[in-house]
Amino acid sequence: MPGPIDYTKLRILPDFDTVEWWAGTRERKYLVRQCKACGHKWFPPIFPACAKCTSMDAGWFETAGKGTIYSYVVVVQPIVGAFIGAVPYVVAIIELDDCKEADGRVTRVAGVMLNEESEVAIGLPCEVVYEETNDPKIVMPRWKINGAAADVWRFTE
Amino acid sequence: MGALTDKYCIVGVGETPHMRPSNRTTLSMACEAITKALADAGLKPGDVDGMTSYQAGDSTTSPHVATALGMRLNYAVDILGGGSSGEALVANAIGLIEAGYCETMVIFRSMNGRSGRRMGGQTPGGPIPVANAEGDAQFNLGWGWTTPAQRFGMSAMRYLRDTGCTTKAFAEIAVAHRYHATLNPKAIHRSPITIEDHQRSRWIVKPFRLLDCCQETDVSVAIIVTSRERAYDLRHPPVFIMGGYARTLTDSPQWNYSRESLHYVAGNYGWKRSFGMAGISHKDVDFVSCYDAFTFTTLIQLEANGFCGRGEAGEFVKGGRLQIDHELPSNLSGGHLSEGYTHGVQMVIENVRQLRHRADDACPGWAEGKHTYDRKAGCRQLRKADICYGMGWGWENMASCLVLRGMAA
Repeated sequence: MPGPIDYTKLRILPDFDTVEWWAGTRERKYLVRQCKACGHKWFPPIFPACAKCTSMDAGWFETAGKGTIYSYVVVVQPIVGAFIGAVPYVVAIIELDDCKEADGRVTRVAGVMLNEESEVAIGLPCEVVYEETNDPKIVMPRWKINGAAADVWRFTE
Repeated sequence: MGALTDKYCIVGVGETPHMRPSNRTTLSMACEAITKALADAGLKPGDVDGMTSYQAGDSTTSPHVATALGMRLNYAVDILGGGSSGEALVANAIGLIEAGYCETMVIFRSMNGRSGRRMGGQTPGGPIPVANAEGDAQFNLGWGWTTPAQRFGMSAMRYLRDTGCTTKAFAEIAVAHRYHATLNPKAIHRSPITIEDHQRSRWIVKPFRLLDCCQETDVSVAIIVTSRERAYDLRHPPVFIMGGYARTLTDSPQWNYSRESLHYVAGNYGWKRSFGMAGISHKDVDFVSCYDAFTFTTLIQLEANGFCGRGEAGEFVKGGRLQIDHELPSNLSGGHLSEGYTHGVQMVIENVRQLRHRADDACPGWAEGKHTYDRKAGCRQLRKADICYGMGWGWENMASCLVLRGMAA
């Protein structure tokens, strides 16, 4: 498991469009935006309109917080002070299982894995877990591998 | 052919040295780059009546420069932008001059990109001590994923998985651009490197090693655009603007990872336009430039602009193809990887010098276009440099292009 993230050195500043998303993680809910007019889902929630139908009547969809790793990087040299103690850590892009749409679109999210680099691979299933920070208003989502898969690819260099 | 193809020219180029640190203001550096570009063109400050620049809240502005250099401008607009903005501002200049807003225009970028604001957001001394994550950054910086290397690494990793390419292809690009830097007295890094040197260099963010990453520097760069009619009266043979595309975007361009493929980058949407406007095909291109913030960005731009098929770039660059005297020389000044980092404009400057046949290399007669083509003696002028295809990159989802030709084409 990577080292700890020092959340005292990271100030998350929710805005008008994201404050409800951060309220969601406080309640251990992983939300994505969903259009009330056409049902399209998207992430991150900074975007206030539906890119499919332009409706600005945006609601929330509570996902199960489960998905598949689409890609990842292994951060070895830290750039954000809060992460100095965490290197090497894996950031992954994850395709959410319950956000696949009929036209082939799938909502992808990103986050820090709880797993070591050697455990992570493209194609593996994972699920969200929640990590409290020093700021009671901010609960951080992290991701952990929760199973195996037949078709996986790992960077081994 | 485009309606304005070959009607406008780049007539002057100039830059400060690549410094780290400069110990100068961005205004001071901009004045130096612009006066050098004016001298290169054979123009006086009063001959330029339009000025434009791009920046990221990290630089001086056109009114400051105009005040410092005693210029009275008819057009002065400074935009926010990063990589791929230089080529886009050349496109703007063509339209502005054609429409009559001004007659001769200087485009500049000035940045303390090493000692001041670094593109990764880190402070000059190292990691950001306390970071504020607001706007987009709530959903990237908030999970320690923020720098260009970290960001582009995601599409690079998926590219390796999807295509079977390995990082030895990245190494080919590092080696080629470094070789060109050995022929450039202005470059920060002039010692040759090998594929093995690349493979042994330390990890920054997997799949990128140190030698996959560019060399941030403090620098200013300037280029001057005017009409063909004026260009013929100036100091150097004109370099004609054949075509391009300007800050072309993919769908969902801004911090949204749900596009079908992360490595189907913006150039894919632009290259038919640029080749069509220029009236040429890939086989007419003598050399290219690529925005090499990272080795991978060169690789994927070649593919996105149709120089090879989708997924084939790793094979395409093997065997030194991008090196001088090979099939498709790329970034002849050494580029961001080895010369220094200018947010893209140095590629345009080098391409202009090559197309004039006046690369500023070790040849005593370079200023008169006399070259030996002896690489061991430090000559970096191409023998045949008639048409150049220059590719700019903002990030995966934003790209520009500038197709230039010299007098011979």
